[in-house]
Amino acid sequence: MATSTAATASQRSSSTAKNRRWKTLKNQLPNYLFILPHFFLFSVFLLYPIFRGLQISLYDWKIMLTDQRWLGLANYQALMNDAVFWQVLRNTFWFMILTVIINVTLALIVAAGLKHRFTGSDFFRVLFYAPGILSVSVLGIIAIRVWEPQLGIINYYFVNVMGFPRVNWVSDPTLIIPVLSLTTVWWTFGFPMLVFIAGLHGIPEQLYEAAKIDGAGVLSAFRHITIPLIMPTMLFVVVTQFIAHMQVFAQPYIITGGGPGNASRSVVQYLYETAWKYFRYGYASAISVVLALIMIVVTIILFSLMRRRAEY
Amino acid sequence: MSTMTTTHRTTRTRFISKDTRQAILMWLLFLPLGFIIIIPLLYMFSMAFTTEANQFVLPIRWIPIPPTLQNFNKIFADPLLPLGRWFFNSLLVASVGTIIILIVSSLSGYAFARLEFPGKNFLFSLLLFSLMIPAAITLIPAFLLLRSLGMLDTYHAIWWPAAASVTGIFLLRQHFYAVPRELEDAARVDGANRFRIYWQVCLPLVRGALVALSIFTFLGLWNDLFWPLIVLNKQANLTLPIGLVVLQQGSYIQRGLAFAGAFVASVPVLIFYVIFQRQIIAGITTTGMAGQ
Repeated sequence: MATSTAATASQRSSSTAKNRRWKTLKNQLPNYLFILPHFFLFSVFLLYPIFRGLQISLYDWKIMLTDQRWLGLANYQALMNDAVFWQVLRNTFWFMILTVIINVTLALIVAAGLKHRFTGSDFFRVLFYAPGILSVSVLGIIAIRVWEPQLGIINYYFVNVMGFPRVNWVSDPTLIIPVLSLTTVWWTFGFPMLVFIAGLHGIPEQLYEAAKIDGAGVLSAFRHITIPLIMPTMLFVVVTQFIAHMQVFAQPYIITGGGPGNASRSVVQYLYETAWKYFRYGYASAISVVLALIMIVVTIILFSLMRRRAEY
Repeated sequence: MSTMTTTHRTTRTRFISKDTRQAILMWLLFLPLGFIIIIPLLYMFSMAFTTEANQFVLPIRWIPIPPTLQNFNKIFADPLLPLGRWFFNSLLVASVGTIIILIVSSLSGYAFARLEFPGKNFLFSLLLFSLMIPAAITLIPAFLLLRSLGMLDTYHAIWWPAAASVTGIFLLRQHFYAVPRELEDAARVDGANRFRIYWQVCLPLVRGALVALSIFTFLGLWNDLFWPLIVLNKQANLTLPIGLVVLQQGSYIQRGLAFAGAFVASVPVLIFYVIFQRQIIAGITTTGMAGQ
């Protein structure tokens, strides 16, 4: 008797539990309406394309055909033997490394000065970020005229005013990537600068006071307090900068068209031309997959390297 | 100790205070960089008002005498370079896109912060996963999809893929977390349904984040070149950044036109920037967002 009551009780409680669960579920169902619009768009335009991109890279994809020709890994094989691909990859890495290093160094130094409030500090902050507000097309129009060998501003001051020998900034294949990189620094260093200012404000001022009492100079304090404590911010900045500049497109596209020769063509520009100029969508997809893999691997390496440094 | 530093300070700064000296030092350090930042901008402004014949005159005439509107007249009158049309297109693309993104991301951000539903963590980790995948890989499939949907060369091809972005959701979710639950409970007791709680109680309380998100979304859409270049084709449908590239390609003959176009594209955003500088800079420093 006792056992049977216990059994029915537990049965009843399990059925009420089920009932309650069903009730909460029914109550929670309308919550899906909130995420539905975004999740639909997210699935269609982000999630599905990620996998679709992998698939397309295995075909000789032509836009007019209904049946696409399966190639297996042939696109990837061709890519490995594509001298232009290796060159644009080298160009992009060189551009990215230069830009990240100059941007991060300049931004950190400027931020170390601008974190103090002084008359005009807000003005400099606003001014230094201002180029970042402009479209890359405006940047391109300005940059073409700034670097132009005969009539540009830079050569005007270098050659006509200061008397240096004339340098052909845009037609020298060894100079063109640094030129694009400096142009990009002018355009983008304000962003890491602002992030660094916020990061520096998070470092307690007492540490600097203590270091000063211990007789440490400005440089030594920068080396032993600022650098280690800014590491988490540095990680964020380096990773976002890496992702942005590895996918550079518009600067070479507008300013040089990828030239001279292929000296300034970037990976994304090559991808764009392969797909939308030569209509080789399968091959272009293979380029995008390889670029994505490289970026994921480097991001993971950066995370583990910088996290280890940040722990010290 | 404190008396020591004060005497030390007074002896060294008999004439100028320490703050002033620091300010002067900073100005000396930052002024050269400031010049490098500002000179190309001034150059664009003055060349936009310089006649075609004087574009190549050296030494550079920083103040065009007399200033001319001939470049602007030409680009606004030329039917092959419909700059006014492109300006309007950009305005339409950026404003409608911003509204769509704001609605879609705030609904989802609210749900992930405050509502419970089965699979919530899994769905959220899918959003996180997409952040790790570089955008380059989605370009071709998204383009082919829009093509089969017949959306190419319309602004739907810009708005809807942009609304799939997850950054707004992460930003707003953080801010919805900070809304006190008691406010929602009180509204629920008063008989408000979940949609009214979202719309009338929570949304007004995250206004600051909504403003930051709309500024960055608007600027991002206004300035974007790459995706519109892929999906837009007809001359009449182009946005300003593509229009500028079109102008620039002919610019070896007519420089002034490219600068006038650049002026038209950048002056509105620079004015916008000066007005909203506080929000923009605070938005970047607190959220790390930017239209890169």
